[in-house]
Amino acid sequence: MHEVAIADALIEQVQSEVHRAGASGKVTRVALAIGRLSGVNPDSLRFALDLLVKGTALESARIDVAEPKALCCCAACGSRMEIEDLEARCRQCGSSDVAIEGGRELLLESIELEEC
Amino acid sequence: MKIVAAKKILKANEQLAAENREKFDAAGIFGVNLVGSPGSGKTTLLEALFSRQGLAGRAAPAVIEGDIAGSIDAQRMDALGVPVVQINTEGACHLDASMIAAAVLNLDLQAVRLLVIENVGNLVCTAGFDLGERLRVVLLSVTEGDDKLVKYPAIFQGSHALVVTKIDLLPHTNFRVQRAVEDMKRLAPAAAIFQVAALRGEGIPALADWLVQRMEAR
Repeated sequence: MHEVAIADALIEQVQSEVHRAGASGKVTRVALAIGRLSGVNPDSLRFALDLLVKGTALESARIDVAEPKALCCCAACGSRMEIEDLEARCRQCGSSDVAIEGGRELLLESIELEEC
Repeated sequence: MKIVAAKKILKANEQLAAENREKFDAAGIFGVNLVGSPGSGKTTLLEALFSRQGLAGRAAPAVIEGDIAGSIDAQRMDALGVPVVQINTEGACHLDASMIAAAVLNLDLQAVRLLVIENVGNLVCTAGFDLGERLRVVLLSVTEGDDKLVKYPAIFQGSHALVVTKIDLLPHTNFRVQRAVEDMKRLAPAAAIFQVAALRGEGIPALADWLVQRMEAR
């Protein structure tokens, strides 16, 4: 359940970004990127946020989550492809000499506030 | 109004981790974050590593033990004469950089060269939290099964070494070492891979030598 810790960090971060931008008012939308290999479950994060946003500026914000995929990078033919699962082989040349990169993003992309 | 942040959600933790790393570097301390499931053999590995055939006399170690409750692991380190600080997370499933910053205040850093942080037993939550270490070492015991790298890729992907533990039990399991090795090579091509049976001391000298090499390379 580290999604609770992440939700907590996220709420604090949104509040500090809003403050830093000299803005105020209710947050209407928060856009996140949570990589498929980040170890964070978006549904669990939403659940934790639902519990924790009460009484904060995020209380009625829509939370949009993009889920970037990991890339399979082939050492033999140099091709890079998005993967759904942790496949063992390159889809281009069939080599198993591949490395898996990315998919670990855990980003606060943007915040939208209601117009005052 | 739209604010484009494009920042890591755990930025606050990463900043604190960077501060820990600077503090450790300035003091000549090499930090290792030891992660793995409950029962993967983290504390037993440390006991073997701090023995004569391991790091004894070569590393000036200290340990930070992270557990949800209790001080059983800290007592085991204490019995070896290794300086130890116990963190009880009181329910939290991972250590974070602020806990480490607080814990090191209880250690005499001048006397320490190798600081091992034994994380809470967990393959999921520990993956996201940089503690300020220079190396992350992940354990996988053969009794857990060889499918764990594919099921919990994040923790393996970000680690500098995989230690397959309890290899003396291999004849009693269906664990395929080759599968684990192949999966690790795809997830972390540069990572070192070790096989140990800590209670017998098997594989411990090689792991200890690698750790010393990495410490000296800094």
